Amino acid sequence: MAYRRLIAGLTALVIVLFGASLLIGPAAIGLGESLAALLGLSGSAEATILVMQEIRLPRAILGLTIGASLGLSGAALQGYLRNPLAEPGLIGVSASAALGAVLAIYTGLSAAFPLALPLSALAGAVVAVMLLLALAGRGADTLTLILAGVALSALAGALTSLALNLSPNPFAALEIVFWLLGALTDRSMLHVVLAVPFMAVGWLLLAGLGRGLDALALGEEAAASLGVRLDWLRLAVVLGTAASVGAATAVAGAIGFVGLVVPHLLRPLVGGRPSRLLLASALGGAAMLLAADIAVRIVTPGQELKLGVLTALVGAPFFLWLILNRRRSLA
Amino acid sequence: MTRLVLEGLSVVLAGRRVLEPVDLTVAPGECVGLIGPNGAGKSTLMRAALGLLAAEGRSSLTTLPRRERARRAAWLPQAREIAWGMCVEEIVALGRTPHRLPGAPLSAADRDAVTHAMAATDVTAFAARDATRLSGGEQARVLLARALAQEAPILLADEPVAGLDPAHQIAAMEVFAAHAGAGGLVVTALHDLGLAARWCTRLLLLDAGRIVADGPPAAVLTQERLATVYGIEAHIAEAGDGLIVQPLTRVAAREITEGAA
Repeated sequence: MAYRRLIAGLTALVIVLFGASLLIGPAAIGLGESLAALLGLSGSAEATILVMQEIRLPRAILGLTIGASLGLSGAALQGYLRNPLAEPGLIGVSASAALGAVLAIYTGLSAAFPLALPLSALAGAVVAVMLLLALAGRGADTLTLILAGVALSALAGALTSLALNLSPNPFAALEIVFWLLGALTDRSMLHVVLAVPFMAVGWLLLAGLGRGLDALALGEEAAASLGVRLDWLRLAVVLGTAASVGAATAVAGAIGFVGLVVPHLLRPLVGGRPSRLLLASALGGAAMLLAADIAVRIVTPGQELKLGVLTALVGAPFFLWLILNRRRSLA
Repeated sequence: MTRLVLEGLSVVLAGRRVLEPVDLTVAPGECVGLIGPNGAGKSTLMRAALGLLAAEGRSSLTTLPRRERARRAAWLPQAREIAWGMCVEEIVALGRTPHRLPGAPLSAADRDAVTHAMAATDVTAFAARDATRLSGGEQARVLLARALAQEAPILLADEPVAGLDPAHQIAAMEVFAAHAGAGGLVVTALHDLGLAARWCTRLLLLDAGRIVADGPPAAVLTQERLATVYGIEAHIAEAGDGLIVQPLTRVAAREITEGAA
């Protein structure tokens, strides 16, 4: 069965890339040595253990989980809105989480203790969700949700620009700009422990939506007449995306294009069915982000390219190619 | 025995009463044609009966839990939406949603229902094709098959034959007649008075949010009613096997008042 093969193939790809992410880095460590250090076996050099367990492992875990969050929520949002242009940033939660992080840098809070920045970003995401639900909560339609998301993104973007504008010194401004680009460098296990539970809650909320999203392919009225609770579906999409992408943005900054491109790329391979796209897209997102994070280490080892820069740099032309390809196949 | 019972069902949208209180009972075996000019309240009546619109009064469907309601009544909306490039068979299989547990594969009964529904609307030939690449009329038949696959005793359809070629219009009406004949009941909004006259066992004529006539086609479709409700003149004839109604010209408002005077 084509779907099972696709899932098996993507799973294998994610496993290989996860392994590669653990093995590739500026510190040249042999394969056997790496594995021994990763497991903390006696005989490994202390520095090697430190590199493997404290630097590469959290980075690989975050690449995997953030990629999966972006892919999954992108697929769920596109399915819910029945619009291939939807991406996780659409509901304004990533922009608000970014604003939270920027405020932490701006106020100097981020220097006070290690988790100040991601916690502040998470707070930004939570505020965004509450505003979103107040604006587009009960009984609101899809269009209201999109408009509320666009308004929230614009507001958070404006406040981020304001923080940059008023930043006390050029170093703070530079730090803000660099953080906004998105990266997985120098993240610790603390970041993993902070972000993964939120992401997992988001995945649980989104993973159960397949049936409702499938029925929605026939439009909202037909889906409702098939027994789908559209109000619950909308709530689960918003909360699931907010929890997973809010947490992802809190620890890695805004990483674009993965949530948009991956569902696009995989949709034809699952026969268009939204329920099947969920798992495929989660795996595809994980694979894409792990691959991109490996690429930034190899391409420019000295000064690492920021992950968000690379995903956009590769993602945008690739997206154009997809569109051209589609046009050709329709013609 | 599944009847559709509406008691005092009425709808107010944005402060305007778009459906006056309706009392209606449709029994199994009936194929009811809902006719009336644009904006008369045909879609509103059906959507309120299904609980898709906030309404006053009672419908025998809205008191049921969602899943049970979806097994009891299938709804074919006027807007023919198919998102994503899913194949025809998968679209039709969506009709099985209320019969399946989340994540469960299609059972033998599900497959049978899908096969029969596709055969009934003549879409089996393109079962594996991308539904979004079909013509409008073909998509309409795929969506009708989806509603049939739901195997609900009550079938409500909003202008299901619009955009179909004559052969498939008749085929669709045959499907409805067969559904009613097999003990189900059908309520369908129609603009084609000829099809309504020929295939429905009962017609409801709506005008400005109220039912102005209810009965067998020959009793509802009279020259006077067509002139006052639609403002048209029609050729109405009794053929051996049913009524023939062919709209001819519009009647100017002035002539109607003159005729009445």
